[in-house]
Amino acid sequence: MKAVTMLFRTSLILSCIMLFAHPLAAQEGKKKVSKNPHAVVTKEANTIDELVDILDEKKCAECHPEIYKEWKESWHAKSVTSPGSIKGIHNFLAIGLPKEWKKPITKAEVMKCYDCHAPVIQYASEKLAVEIAEKVITAHKEKDKPAGKKAEKELSKLNVGCVSCHNLKATSVARGLRGAPKKGAIYGPTGADSDGAHETIKTVDITRSVMCMQCHGKYKAPDGETIQCNTLSGSFQNAYQSNGGTETCQDCHMEKNSKTGKKSHLMPGGHDLDMVKKGLGLKVNFAQYRHLPGKIKGVKNDKAWVPSAVVTAFVENKAGHRIPDG
Amino acid sequence: MVLEVTARDLYEKDPKKQVLYSAQKTWFEIGLDMDRDMRYGAWQIKEIIDLTLPPMQTQKVEHLMHFDSDTEEVEIEVKLLYYISGGKGDVIFTEKEQFTYEID
Repeated sequence: MKAVTMLFRTSLILSCIMLFAHPLAAQEGKKKVSKNPHAVVTKEANTIDELVDILDEKKCAECHPEIYKEWKESWHAKSVTSPGSIKGIHNFLAIGLPKEWKKPITKAEVMKCYDCHAPVIQYASEKLAVEIAEKVITAHKEKDKPAGKKAEKELSKLNVGCVSCHNLKATSVARGLRGAPKKGAIYGPTGADSDGAHETIKTVDITRSVMCMQCHGKYKAPDGETIQCNTLSGSFQNAYQSNGGTETCQDCHMEKNSKTGKKSHLMPGGHDLDMVKKGLGLKVNFAQYRHLPGKIKGVKNDKAWVPSAVVTAFVENKAGHRIPDG
Repeated sequence: MVLEVTARDLYEKDPKKQVLYSAQKTWFEIGLDMDRDMRYGAWQIKEIIDLTLPPMQTQKVEHLMHFDSDTEEVEIEVKLLYYISGGKGDVIFTEKEQFTYEID
């Protein structure tokens, strides 16, 4: 009898807790979701705006303004609309596919460029992916005309944004071990509490060179095709690390911002002359002398000493990869 | 990336005749398709010929130059240029030296 009473009391207490706690929990959950800048993707996007809304990366700037500002200035922010990207991707879509491979534009083919240049396009519908490809062709062919400018403006909404590295590509290098990236979560090196803005998952992967090498090297598409925009990772592994180099891509290209103390998201590279200067060295030795008379043909006076010089230049590559590349 | 070495006669007024010596060394890569034809398209390139400057390496480029027997003063300029998009090169480093010669 005593046991039955105890059981009844316990059930009563638990019911009360559930009755009051559940709405609170639901409310808390709702609050978190509404603040979450990386809503869970449930359907394919049919317009670029829908695609952009999926990640809503502008919200990242609310809590990380300095990092967002740096990123906005970076080449990652221009990964779709930089002149080189538009031209190169146009050439693949307008020449490579139809004329060489004799294939139509499909999402699978488009992703051979955009899996790196704008990974969010993985959430685009087949129709939207093809439309994006058509916009690139227009942006290139009608570069200075209204149609080209309009297409470029639309395309400028796509890029390698916050979520590209901090979620979409965050587990790709060790997919067997880590699994697929958790939708809505933000992967980072510290796992710092976001005060409910998003779930944060601490990962060391994002600090490793192999993270950058997913795109900054020879790319292998799901069908096995190799795309070679640049080969930085090849020379990093085979000529830098194999010779004892130990610095990571992030050590040089994401140096700490002196003001914020955080890793810079400007990620300067070959487009930044200061960065190029850091990676190179030049030492020149100049030696003056006079060459023996009669030994050099073609001089006005073959009995005179010949003014001569030896210039020896030492060009040093201090970077972790070959120069130039791409 | 290009290393330019130029020697100029400082007494010569005509710019066309000023240059006494000029040479270039270029570091670059050649992209190749499966037939080993040179290509630029990322989808076409399957292999490369690597003529770039490898990491952790210093390459020595030496120039021996002779000027005419009546050359009195030359300026030698060494420039390292970096080409990010093919067209115009940006000067990364410059070194200059002037030499005066005794004429017989």
